Amino acid sequence: MTADPALSVIRRGIILTVLALIGVAVVMVMALQFTPVEANQGLAQKIFYVHVPTAAVALWIAVPATGIASILYLWLHDPRLDRFAAASAEVAVVFCLVVLTTGPIWGKPIWGTWWTWDGRLTLTLFLFFLLLGYHALRGSVRDPLERGRFSAVLGIMGMALVPFIHLSVYLWRGLHPQPVVLKPSAPSLPWEMLRTLLAGFGVFILLYVGFVTLRYGLQLAQDRKEEADAA
Amino acid sequence: MPPDNGQYLFAAYIVAGVIYLGYAVRLMLRARR
Repeated sequence: MTADPALSVIRRGIILTVLALIGVAVVMVMALQFTPVEANQGLAQKIFYVHVPTAAVALWIAVPATGIASILYLWLHDPRLDRFAAASAEVAVVFCLVVLTTGPIWGKPIWGTWWTWDGRLTLTLFLFFLLLGYHALRGSVRDPLERGRFSAVLGIMGMALVPFIHLSVYLWRGLHPQPVVLKPSAPSLPWEMLRTLLAGFGVFILLYVGFVTLRYGLQLAQDRKEEADAA
Repeated sequence: MPPDNGQYLFAAYIVAGVIYLGYAVRLMLRARR
């Protein structure tokens, strides 16, 4: 008797997710207890250790992974690629939601406003809506081949937005600061801060992997059930 | 002297925690079904 592959993927996803959530708690404690308070911004600056890694994983991993899987799906028509793209896009929505909520909470004490129509903020909000549209589209198309094809186009469009979001702080002068780590020159952060930020990158990458694995496993289980029902 | 704005930090961490934890619980409940 062979084990159900969907079940083993789900189990792996649960383990990774639980480990990553513990890691997120550890990073928050590191930021609170073992990272210095920034002199000008005060404690609010420590939102950075959640906001920046979350944004980096959303924009540099989740959305591009969706886009690349979508391109490959249009080429190879492998349902695994469509399943992965959908899982990654759903996790990207969650990460974007965290970016779009922690950002304004940080902005209020530092900029004096919750929101401004700055290029970086506006394009990130646009990406969030595009990802919501991606899922609305998937929910409204019943044929799996059409669903995969249509949503792949949106997935690629989401990926095409990423360079504009990254460059927006250079192209349009706004309130959002320029990168302090993801830039051509060396990171402009003291080691005590950089250490917590790097731990944050590791933990949020693990959280993305855990969520995607779990979401992929759930979709695999559902697809197999539908196939069995149809047979 | 840094400004006193710790309430924003805690609000942001709670919001992020609730979103991540909420999504994880949602997926795990789906896995149980």
